[in-house]
Formats: sequence, C-alpha cells, structure tokens
Amino acid sequence: MTVLAQTLSLAPAPPWRRQLVRSLLYGDIDRAAKARARVGLAILAFAAVYAIIAARLVMFALVADSRIAHHGGAGDAIATARPDILDRNGEVLATDVRVPSLYGEPRRIIDVDEAVELLTADLPDLDAGELRERLSSRRGFVWLKRDLTPEQQREIYHQGLPGVGFLNENKRTYPNGAEISHVIGHVNIDNQGIAGMEKWLDGHGLAALHMAGLATDRLQNPVELAVDLRVQHALRDELVAARAKFKAIAAAGIVLNVRSGEVVAMVSEPDYDPNNPHEALDPTRINRLTTGVFEMGSTFKAFTIAMALDSGKVTLKSSFDARMPLRFGKFDIHDFHAQNRVLTVPEIFTYSSNIGAARAALAVGVDAHKSFLKKLGQLDRLRTELPESAEPIVPRRWGELNTITIAFGHGLSVAPLQAMMGVAALMNGGILIPPTFLRRSEAEGQALGKRVIKPETSEMMRYLMRLNVEKGTAEKAEVPGYYIGGKTGTADKVINGHYSKTKVLTDFMAVLPADQPRYVLLIMLDDPQVIAETHGFNTSGWNAVPVGGAVVARIAPLLGIEPRLNLPTADALILASIKESR
Amino acid sequence: MILRIVNFVVIGALVLAAAYVYRIKFDSTVQAERLAKLRSEVRRERDRIAALRAQWGELDNPARVEALAKRYLKLKPVVPTQFDALDRLPDRPPQFIKPDSKDPIGVMIENIDEPGSTTGSIAAPAENANDAPAPMPAADPDR
Repeated sequence: MTVLAQTLSLAPAPPWRRQLVRSLLYGDIDRAAKARARVGLAILAFAAVYAIIAARLVMFALVADSRIAHHGGAGDAIATARPDILDRNGEVLATDVRVPSLYGEPRRIIDVDEAVELLTADLPDLDAGELRERLSSRRGFVWLKRDLTPEQQREIYHQGLPGVGFLNENKRTYPNGAEISHVIGHVNIDNQGIAGMEKWLDGHGLAALHMAGLATDRLQNPVELAVDLRVQHALRDELVAARAKFKAIAAAGIVLNVRSGEVVAMVSEPDYDPNNPHEALDPTRINRLTTGVFEMGSTFKAFTIAMALDSGKVTLKSSFDARMPLRFGKFDIHDFHAQNRVLTVPEIFTYSSNIGAARAALAVGVDAHKSFLKKLGQLDRLRTELPESAEPIVPRRWGELNTITIAFGHGLSVAPLQAMMGVAALMNGGILIPPTFLRRSEAEGQALGKRVIKPETSEMMRYLMRLNVEKGTAEKAEVPGYYIGGKTGTADKVINGHYSKTKVLTDFMAVLPADQPRYVLLIMLDDPQVIAETHGFNTSGWNAVPVGGAVVARIAPLLGIEPRLNLPTADALILASIKESR
Repeated sequence: MILRIVNFVVIGALVLAAAYVYRIKFDSTVQAERLAKLRSEVRRERDRIAALRAQWGELDNPARVEALAKRYLKLKPVVPTQFDALDRLPDRPPQFIKPDSKDPIGVMIENIDEPGSTTGSIAAPAENANDAPAPMPAADPDR
C-alpha cells in the first residue's frame, strides 16, 4: 500500500489530485510522526530477529558440547553395573567385565541370507533357522548373541555386514568359582542379583539405581565381606575331602568370629559355581547352614548345661543320677556311652550323657528352658544379609518330654548358623551377637550384642569344652598348640517320620582357643558312613571331630592365632582362674 | 567526524570480538573433544583393569595355587611346632663394627678384648622355671 502510494505520489499530477489521493489514502495525520513510528517498528522487528538468531546460536553452542560429551558412551549397553565384591583381605570375589554382545537391526539388513550365512560361519553354535527368523522380523532391534569373545567380535566386524552391531555389556564374573558360592550368590543374565549377597546388594539401593538408568559406569565403592578367602578355601578343601572319605550326603562348616559376629568362612558342600547359575537349581546344592534346619544332637547339651549353670541351681560339682535309663511315659532315654553311675556335671558333658542333660534341664524347669533358648535366639528365624533363611521347627506344645529331648538336641530343629550364634555367646563371655557377612569391627559387634549369660558361666562352659577335648568325646580334635575346646553331636536322622537307627547327622562345635576365645567352628556331616578306619562307628567323634582338628590345624595360622605349646590342662588353666576370681 | 571515528572503532572492535569469540569457541570444542576422549580412555582403562583383576583373581585362587604347590614344590603345611614367640628370640649379638668406621678390623680387635662382651647368642637367664625354653619336639605327624 505504501509502495503504491509512493509510486502514485511520484507521478507528475496536478496538486489538487495529489491532495485528494493523499487525503483518501492517509487521512489528515502528520506525516513526520508516522515515518518515525514506522522506523521504530522496523527496528523492533529486526531486533527481534537478531535476538532469536543469537539465542539459537547460544543453544547450538551448548548442544554441540553435550553431543560431543555423549559420544564417548556410544556402544555401551543399558545400566547394569554392579560394585565389586571383595573379601576381607581385598581379594576380588566378584567383578564386572565388559563383554561385547551382538545385535541386529532387521530393518536395515539388505540380504538376510548372506547375513545368516556369514554369521553362522563365525558363530557355529548359533542356530541358523532361528537367526533367519529373527533377522526377517520387522522389529527394530534383536539380540543375536550375548557374550562374544574378542576374536569373534573382530571376525564379525571385518565382514562389514550392514545392520548388525555390538553393544558392550557388563558381565558378572566370579574368579574363585565354587569356593564361596553360597555366601556370594549369583546374578541372572541381566546382571540382577538373585541369591546371596548379590541379592542383598540389589535390595540396598542398587536396584533403584538400575531402574533410574544411573548405574552405567563402573561403580566406585566395592563391598567388603567378612569372609576370608584363604580360610574359606581351607575349610572347603577339608570338607570336600571329608565328604568323599565318609561318603556323606553333604558336609558343611562355619568359622565365626566370637567377638564381632563376622562369618569368616561358610561352606555347604555340595555347592555350585556362580558362573554357572543353573547348577544352583539342583535342590541337593542348597545352603544347609542358613536354609536348612536340623536337630543338632548332643551339641545342644552345651546350651542345656550353660542354662543349668547360669540358673545357679546347678554348679560344676552337682551330680545327677545316670544309673538307669530315664523313663518318661512310654519313652526310655538311654546313654550312648552309658556309665551307669551318678555323674557330675563335667562328666555329663564329656561322656555326653543324655540322661544327665535331661535331668539337668528338668532341674531348671520347662519354662526356664524355653525362655533360655528364646533368649539365645534358637526359637526365632535368624535373619542375616543373606536373603535365604529358615524358620526353626519348634514344638507347638512344649511339655516335659520336649524339654527332656531338646536337652540333648532332639525335637528342636534350628539352622546351624543360628546354633553357632548361640554357642559363640556361650564362649565369648555371654554376649549374643547377630552374625554378619559384612565386615564389622569388634567394637561394633559388642555394641550390637546383648548379654545372655553371666561371664562366669561362659568361663565354666569353656572349661567344659576344653575338658571334652582333653578327655572326652572330642579327643581326636586335639591339635597341640591351639588349645581347642569342643562338643560333639550325633543326631539320629528322621526318615519317614521315625528316627533312623543307622542314618545320622554328626556335628562338632569347637572354640579356638578355649582360654581366650576368638573363633568358633562348626563341622557338620550329613549321613556319614561307617568306614574301616572308624571301627564300625559313625558317631561324631569318629568323623566330624577329626575333620574339625584338621581344619583348625590349617586355618589357625591364617586367622593369626599364635600356637602356644606346653599350656597346662583345663583344670589348671581355666578352672583355677574361675576359682581365683571368686 | 567524531561519530565516524567512533563508528570505525566500533566496527573494528566488533571484528576483533568476533575473532576472539571464534577462537574461544574453537578452543573449547577442542578441549571438549579431548575431555570426551580422555573419559572414554579412562573408562576403557578401568574396564581393562577390571578384566585383569578378574584374571588375577582366577590365577591367585587358593585352590589353583595349592594344586600347583603340591605338584611343583616340596613345601608342606605349617605345624604349630614350627612357630615360636618373639620374646624367646635370642638377643642380637653385640655389634663389633660401626658401619662408618675407617678401620673395621682394628675396632673389632679392640672390642673383642673388652670384658663382659658376648660372642654369639646365649640363652637369657630364666626368671621363671616354667618360662624356660623347652626343647622343641620334632614335628612328627604320627604323634
């Protein structure tokens, strides 16, 4: 319009006509003011355009940077990083290794037949039919093969096939194989923990990180476990040998620090290789120490005697009548090593007298017995970091007969780790500390613990444990220099609802060293057979006890326990110190 | 006239500023690329370290070391009798020669004649009969 007006105004025309056109076009307004307004408008428009350009430039500058930074992460798969797991000495128990995986983008593949042919040539274990089907689909992304070797990756790369590529994925590896399988657990193909400490890690924030997609890079803080790989190996080695020697169904062992509650080693043989997680599905390979419950047999007499001594109603000098089998209703309680005389408390312990233990428990009473075991955590499910745990089998109605049988370890099934927690409390001065698989200092352990028996009772129990190795059922565990104390247990196994006469579960609980306790040890054999060397016996003293001695001889130097030769007997060393302190 | 000079100065400043900004931008791009490259290198190194650590863990596995030791070495597991306490270690023999002496042999001769000096290790006088070092029993596995 303006242009038109200007062309019109430039044309030579009589003034009156110009006046007319102007007044028609613009009306009667001051032209100078109008021109200023127009210029102002143009300035504003140009300024806006330049501002937009400047803003875009800034945006481009910023975006370009972030794109470059992002470029380095290309080819890395989704968030699956896990922290390393180390043992107490910093040895690697589990770590992530980057492995390439092959994927295809079917829409970008030009010749499916050629691709199938070339890929199956490099990866012979790939099924050609399935591969063809996958590559012919209309999907944008398909996995072709997880976990390639570097050679395979190089070969496929050099074929230059369009539409196939590699993604680096984190793969969990366990360099020690089966050595620590049950403690550490394992992960599934997507690197999520499904058992053991791996699952515990997922439960403690790692799963949330994975969901948020933040756990892409290597996680910096490794997790330190309480387990000592060397002790674990020594224990496992001895247990594997023992299981083969006694043809047992299973062999299991625990080494527990009595002051901090750390599980330094835990083996349940048969175990599995966490690199091969499908082995774990075999039900014979369960972790018997936390997921199994067992009647622990005579080792429970340690609890019974401790309760009797702690109640004050019984002293080390008390004696109980074991001349005849204890008759209760239609049941007769016999002794395996029958002495047929009146036995003192130390004799009940060293001869492992069922009658004596039952009478001692009855002397204290049914309710006190129940509440004592409750206090020691034997009647409730023990929860540790491991996700797998089992509830003890406690009699629903607890009468005198239950107290009699539980006094010598039948009629109450507990997880062996749970029993060891109780025994550690009897040994360490009377403080019950919940066991842990993570590193924990002694001070932390003591702070978590609660007192369950008097320190004097604990000292008397250590005396009895040592006495039992010096002259009792655990003589074969003696290793000169380590001052081992221990209690044996042989429980008849329940087969089809009845106690078997021939099948037994034997166990041995040891304290190391008995005068200044630092560790407790459990050896457990499931259904050990009679062999020539055991002279027709399959009781604990002939199988679990010598294994315990062999284990102690191997692990004591690793645990930093100084051998002390020529120590006096338990009577002179521990009993005398109890009397002195009174 | 002054306005024109100002105009030229401003144009000059503009060109300089543009050049300067361009240089900064270029440098920052170079730096950013270097950073990204270093980051990916660090990541690769870390992965390689992890792979090597895993491999070391496999090689250092006690079961493997034990098998190799049994096969190639004559070593046996330690027995308690092979340990002894530090306080039962005999005293260190007296030093005859100072490390910086010019005439070691002369000093040695002088010191040997000193009364009260001991040569070699002798047992410390036993304060308590029970603490006296007992002869170590020979390590006998059948015992």
